[in-house]
Formats: sequence, structure tokens, C-alpha cells
Amino acid sequence: MDSSVHPLPAAPAASRPGGGQRVLVGHPRRGIAAAVRRVLTGMGVRYVDVAADAGGLLAAVEAEPPDLVIIDRALLRGDESLIETLRAVIGRGELPILILGRFASLAERRAVMAAGATDLIARPLTGAELAARLRGHLENRLLNRSLQEVIRSLQTFHTGAVQRMQLARDMQLDLLPDEALRTGIERRYGVRLDSHFESSSELGGDIWGARPLDDDRFAVFLCDFTGHGVAAALNTFRLHALLEKIDLPGDNPAEMLGAINRLLVGLLPESQFAAMLYAVVDTAADRLTYATAGAPKPIIGVPDCPLRVGESVGLPLGVSMKASYRNRSVEFPPGAFLFLFSDALFEARDWEGRPFGYPGILDLVRLCGPQGGAPAVGGEGGLADLLDRYFAVMPRPLADDLTALWLTRTVPRSG
Amino acid sequence: MNYTVRNLGGVREIELRGQLTFEANDDFRKIIDGIEKDGITACVLGLDSLDFIDSAGLGLLVLANNTANRANVRLTLKHPRGQVREMIEISEFHTIIPCDF
Repeated sequence: MDSSVHPLPAAPAASRPGGGQRVLVGHPRRGIAAAVRRVLTGMGVRYVDVAADAGGLLAAVEAEPPDLVIIDRALLRGDESLIETLRAVIGRGELPILILGRFASLAERRAVMAAGATDLIARPLTGAELAARLRGHLENRLLNRSLQEVIRSLQTFHTGAVQRMQLARDMQLDLLPDEALRTGIERRYGVRLDSHFESSSELGGDIWGARPLDDDRFAVFLCDFTGHGVAAALNTFRLHALLEKIDLPGDNPAEMLGAINRLLVGLLPESQFAAMLYAVVDTAADRLTYATAGAPKPIIGVPDCPLRVGESVGLPLGVSMKASYRNRSVEFPPGAFLFLFSDALFEARDWEGRPFGYPGILDLVRLCGPQGGAPAVGGEGGLADLLDRYFAVMPRPLADDLTALWLTRTVPRSG
Repeated sequence: MNYTVRNLGGVREIELRGQLTFEANDDFRKIIDGIEKDGITACVLGLDSLDFIDSAGLGLLVLANNTANRANVRLTLKHPRGQVREMIEISEFHTIIPCDF
């Protein structure tokens, strides 16, 4: 199996300028070519190839790409196309091409540079000057190559990390109710269930769910673990596994929270816990029963009644074995709605750094919610509209994970 | 967040100001260290001037309480106001850490 060592990008092998680098010298006169070679050897460059004409130069470049090319002006014969050809062969990359010689005019220097030369080395110059110029270019070349290796290795690491994170994110989204479950509940119980799930980073600490209980009743819950990111996300997987695999009193919210709490105490690290609201909707009795564990107060709308802020009192899950929870029961007839959300919705800060605030949420619900028992705005439910208005004034990404559920009991059509 | 500390005999009074959030983690852990190691018998966290607390801040209170329990230090909260009071009430933190409202 994999070792537990974190796979950090490997550092490029260190090497020193000159030693392992290859320099190609193009010069028609053997005497001067030999002088340049001596300078290079004196600098510690071990691999020096010499070409006496353009054909030899191109053949040498193709045989073994050099780290630096020095071409005497005499080899160009007043025609810069050799530089262009070289660039075409080796690419526009970082390979330095230096032109050595006496330049007759500014126009010639300009033409040589325009053709793709990296630098001009004007003669006459001493061996020491030539060495200094070449050393600068070789060091640059070495640094560029090292940098490219680092960048390549970081890119590889990043690509892998993004792929792994995407896989984890897909797994997290799979914890949430799928379309089939959602539409199944909507049809069976005559409700509409809109949801929004938005992590502040790739993974988040929120989870919500819905499950049928019997022909008249179903449950919904929203749970928000402290923090966000990978650590909080791991806790959502814990909770999901507990809910899936252990038989819990799902039709009694207070007992349900008590049971989950006892499972989480000792399982979560000391400063981590979860805020959760668990609700059961009874469509025969027209009642909503819910219990909360440190969760934000739910907002409940009943036709022809003022908007109601549900009570919420209860220790967050995972803090104390002694915690107990209590059920609250409210009327929930057709046309009523329940709006649940994680604290990010009102704790998030606007451009000026001010929290949005719970009263702001209430104002949005009044604007976007069903009016006087009529179906939700545009028949599309208030959630999309509410979030549009919210994000018109709130900057993304939010600092915390946001989950919002909007559950509406639909009104049976008369006739 | 910033804070001031006053020691009266074995009782330490710490006045918290500003916001108790994840950003306060490093500072608050120094407070927790003091509860554990300074040989005090009681610690009062004064919340009059604390404007805001989030779930990460509540997590720090849990840590402080657990540390105090282990070190036999009596930890209490004092005078939470506004949003801080509401968070403490919603989360029933006064049932695990005595709170003087």
C-alpha cells in the first residue's frame, strides 16, 4: 500500500552552472572557435561542440539540444534567417542564442535581435569579458530549467490533488438526497422540497437529509459540524454512516437527537460538535414536530398567520453525554412552509464586513415566501429567489458552508 | 479578540472583547494554558464587551471548560450580551458552563 508520507513534489536535482551544460559554437574560423572553446573550458564547461557552417550548426542542434548557442556574425553572412531557422527547430523557448562579432550598424543589430537572438556580444572583447557574459547566460539557463522542473512538479502535484479532492467532493454530494428520493417524497406527501448546498471550500461540514417514515410522515434534517473543509467533511461522513447503519428513533426528533448525541460524544474531537435540527412532518395531523441541538431557529410560515420564528434550545451534538432534547410541535397545514438553514446564512459578512444578521433573513423570507397562503412565488418556491437576492449583496465565496432547505406543503387543487 | 486579565487571590477574571471566532484561536489557547498551569482555583470569563461568537468560538469555550474540569478550576461565564447571549442560550452552554446572566 501507499506509504503514509505526504507526497510532496520532488525538488529538482541540483547542478552547478557550466559543469553539465552543453554549448554549441558556430564559427567559420577555426582559430577563433578554438579561442571561444578555451574560454568555455576555463569556465568549467565540459561539452563544447563546434560547427563551421550553418548546416553543421543545425545538424548539431538536432543531434543534441544545447544549453547555449554562440554564433559568429561571419557565419550569418549578412542573412539572419539562420537564427529564425534555429528558433523554428528549437522553439521560442528559453534557449539562449548569442551572436558574436563586429556590428556595422544599429540596423544590423536590430535585425539580428528581431530574428530571435537573445543577446549580442560585440567584439573586440577580452576572454574575461566573454567568460563573464557567457556565465551570466549559462546561470540564467540553469535557473530557468530548475524553475521549470519545480513548476512541472508542482503542476503534477496540483493536478493530482485537484482530482483527489474532486473525487472526495463527489462522494460528499452523494451523501445528500438524490433526485429520486426528493421527488419520491414530494409526490408521496404533497410537498415541495428545495435545497441549496454550498461549501466554502472543496469540502464542507454540512449535511442534510430526508426520509419517509410512513404513509403520512416523513423526516428532514440539517446538520452543521463546527469548522469547514476536510476535517468537518469527515464528520459528515461519520454522521451519514451512523444514520444509515444504526436503527434510531427517527419518528421522534428529541429522542433522535439524544441518540445521535450519545453516539457522537467521544467520537468527535474535543472542540468539535454539530448543530442539528431534526423535524418530522405529519401530513395527516397537519403538524410539524422538531427538535434542535444548537441549530439556528427555523422559520415557519403558516397561511394567514404572521411569520413565525421557531424556538431553538439545545446543546450541540457531541458536547456532553448528559444532553437531552425536547420536541416542539407547531401547526403545519397545507400551504405552510419550513425554512431551515445553517448559520452561515446570517453570520456571513457583506463587503463592509457586517454580518447579514437573522433579521435580514426574516426580511428576505417575507419578500420571497408564499404570500397569504398562495403558492410560492412563480410556483418555483422561494429559495432560488431568496438566494438570488441574498447573493446580490453578499460576496462569494462565503467563509462558512451554507445549506438551506425550503419545504412547502402544497395546497391540493380544488375540483 | 483581545482581553485583559485580573488576578484576585486564586480567582482570575478575564475580560474578553471583540469577536470570539476561529481567528481568536491562538489567543484563546493562551487563556486555556493559563487555566491549566497557573494554579488558580476559579476563572471568570467576562463577556460584557464580547460582540460576537460563532460555533468555532463555542468550541473554544468547550475546550476551556474541559481543561478547567481536569485542572479543578471553577470556570464561569459572566454577562453575555446580544448575539453572544443568544448563542449561549440557543446552544444551552449555560447548562455545561455556569453562566451569570
